[in-house]
Amino acid sequence: MKVLVILTVNGLATGFLLFMMASGLSIIFGLMGIMNFAHGALFMLGSYVSTWAYLATGNFFLALLAGIVAGGGVGILAERTIIRPVYGNHLGQILTTLGAFMILNEIVKMLWGPNVIPSPVPGGLEGDFTVGGLTISRYQVFIIFMGIAIAAAVHFVLNRTRLGMVVRAGVENREMIQILGVNIRRVFAMVFLLGTALAALGGAMIGPTLGQIGPFVSTQYLLLAFIVVVIGGMGSFIGSMIAGILIGLINNYVVWLYPPAAMPLNILLMSAILLIKPTGLFGAEGGR
Amino acid sequence: MGRAVFRFPSINSVAILIFICLVALPLVTSSRSAYSMVNMIAISGVFALSYNILVGYTGILSLGHALFFGSGAYIVGVTMRHLGPSLPMLGLAIFGALIFAVAAGLFAGYLTLRLKAIYYAMITLALAELFVIFAEKWRDLTGGWDGLNYKVPVAIREPVAVYYLVLAFTAAVVLFTRRFLDSPTGKVIVAIRENEQRASSLGFNVFRYKLIASVVAGVISSLSGVVFALESRFVMTGILSVEKTLEALLMTIIGGMGTLFGPLIGAAVVHLTGDWLAEFAKIHPIFERWPILFGFVYIFIVLAVPGGVMTGWNRLAQWVATKSGPGKPTKGDRNE
Amino acid sequence: MSDKALLKISGLHAYVEQFYILQGVTLEVPSQGAVVLLGRNGAGKTTTLRCIMGLVPKCSGEIIFSGEDIKGLPPYEIARRKITLVPEDQGIFALLNVGENILVSQRQSSSRGELARRLDFTLSVFPDLKLAWNRKAGTLSGGQKQMLAMARALANENHLIMLDEPSKGLAPLLVKGLGNVIRQIQANSAVLLVEQNFAFASTLGDTFSILSDGKTVLSGKMSELLENSETQQRFLGVSANEGLRR
Repeated sequence: MKVLVILTVNGLATGFLLFMMASGLSIIFGLMGIMNFAHGALFMLGSYVSTWAYLATGNFFLALLAGIVAGGGVGILAERTIIRPVYGNHLGQILTTLGAFMILNEIVKMLWGPNVIPSPVPGGLEGDFTVGGLTISRYQVFIIFMGIAIAAAVHFVLNRTRLGMVVRAGVENREMIQILGVNIRRVFAMVFLLGTALAALGGAMIGPTLGQIGPFVSTQYLLLAFIVVVIGGMGSFIGSMIAGILIGLINNYVVWLYPPAAMPLNILLMSAILLIKPTGLFGAEGGR
Repeated sequence: MGRAVFRFPSINSVAILIFICLVALPLVTSSRSAYSMVNMIAISGVFALSYNILVGYTGILSLGHALFFGSGAYIVGVTMRHLGPSLPMLGLAIFGALIFAVAAGLFAGYLTLRLKAIYYAMITLALAELFVIFAEKWRDLTGGWDGLNYKVPVAIREPVAVYYLVLAFTAAVVLFTRRFLDSPTGKVIVAIRENEQRASSLGFNVFRYKLIASVVAGVISSLSGVVFALESRFVMTGILSVEKTLEALLMTIIGGMGTLFGPLIGAAVVHLTGDWLAEFAKIHPIFERWPILFGFVYIFIVLAVPGGVMTGWNRLAQWVATKSGPGKPTKGDRNE
Repeated sequence: MSDKALLKISGLHAYVEQFYILQGVTLEVPSQGAVVLLGRNGAGKTTTLRCIMGLVPKCSGEIIFSGEDIKGLPPYEIARRKITLVPEDQGIFALLNVGENILVSQRQSSSRGELARRLDFTLSVFPDLKLAWNRKAGTLSGGQKQMLAMARALANENHLIMLDEPSKGLAPLLVKGLGNVIRQIQANSAVLLVEQNFAFASTLGDTFSILSDGKTVLSGKMSELLENSETQQRFLGVSANEGLRR
């Protein structure tokens, strides 16, 4: 029972981080029709910048901020240079975002070397606390709280602001929202920025959970993000949250039972969804 | 009085010339590193060529193509290691690799029927990573993260022997691919890339042709993996990974997608430039990450010069043809 | 035709993918009244509207609106010039509720007061929508969706409202109501209407223009067309019995 609680807590934490990365990817795809293959690299960038900033300053929130800024900054740059020229060109988008993926991987290896580096849990969030006889990691709980806060914030933006309304409408019917007078390019840029910043934030927080980070993070988490987005549904915020948490939980349970089965199981789930209902659990049909 | 006509050399004649030079190389030098460089270029080039059949000619973007390459290599490596480095065993391994390639190729081809392009890219990414994980976890068989080394049959131990094997293999693949692409089947495949709907409405069973392309690309890739395994005598998980597939993509784009020699040119560019830049790494560590340069070149080509090197060549050929007056039109490499 | 036309199109050619759809369209829309664009299926009527709205990239020719050539501008710039389009499928956002559909259609380039005024006006024309404010737009009936689409056009000040087959799929009683709405719209905006239902269109338009195979073949006053059943038959496939006689 104790183990179950710990696994669940860890699973939720991982799930929220996956949700952070996947929701940006999902909405970017739903609204802009772009599958950003560089997203995993942004996650990784966030983890590296944040870890480095924490080791340099000792201030965790500053470190998180640094991660967000790095991710958002790269996002803005990418949107201007390699995304805009290929709007509407599906093959071109895949190619350029793959290129960005390659470049970001190399930049990280260039700045921090190709091997893993340690990512310590920040002071103040270390250790466990005991609740009713159970020992729960403080840091994981922190992640869960952050995750909930961010989910609430995104939900607020999506449902209570004009930008959110425009995004939701645009995901359903990109052409109509332009007819109605929305400067879709500006909305794209904003959404891309938010999506990449969010992915970087997720990455910034995952370092201490893993204990160490390395260039493998980009491919591994890109794959997980794809799995979450496919299962949750392209363009669906709720979908990415539920699928993210689901995958996070499944991963943790399965890893404890029989580690090698974890990733194959994820991939199996993704394949099943792709073959049965490609739009995912909550996906919108449409997005013309 | 006739005008002297300068005919821009056709790509075929250049290719033949280069091939002859390569065949003669061992007469000029016995430098292992020279052989090694040619081998690497040839093997990557063939791998990229097989990838090009999928992406450049049929229009299928797979991110798991390294699976064929890696599986071909691993099957040979594992067999050589665990069952002994004899020719019969090698034959068995190659046979096994081919069976696997055909089966996987059929499966991959089947998937293109069910999935749209983006989903196909995603699922091939996932499957490739899956195999990387298998290779890592199955340490007893595959050597896991550290990789596996093994001996090869005596007949192929000499560097010169390996060298000629690689050259022969490359030539065979190029000739085969040319025949394949010029055949009616090949032409349909190109038509599918251009406009799938139209091809379908013209009565072609698009699915069947995609299946054929998948299998052909898979088998060639697998064989290049086999040759790689024989040349390097060492396999590791990296050869199954997404990064390996991206390497093929890079070479194909640089050399020219959808052209026969493009991938080989791309392979040459990448390896030679990489080697050259790696020299600089001795001066300053920043050059160790020379792949980053290729990332930029790659993006530049995708955005600005979609045709890669081959387009440049063809344009140059056309320009020269117009300048040198009436004469036979240049026989550029056939490309779409 | 007058020089003071609100919209003047000449020599419009357009490609959609590899198909050569518009092969020479000429059209004028005055600042008052309704112009009906007629023609058989596939003649290029919808493509013409989409060209005006900036949705067709491969478009050549002249599209002059209030003296400005708007060809090649992105759709949101066209919208800013107070032109709007109600597409054939209405373009309702099913997952948003009715209220959000209307609010999202309001262009932020106008002032808050102006937008509020127009919202009140729109809801006075369509009181039912006010009742359905919080319902998901996907749950509306066909007729209600059409009303919502019209309401979105009214929610902004528009000099030109383009309607693509608004009566399609509506029951006859609803078509009548639609006609009243369009007449109301005409009071404040010019209307460019594409319709297959000639009987319906003829009650609304003052002038007409007929497209055949992507080319403009005939234009004129609606009253003249109504008297000429031979023309009706030739270009619209409407038999003399079905066509209207004055």
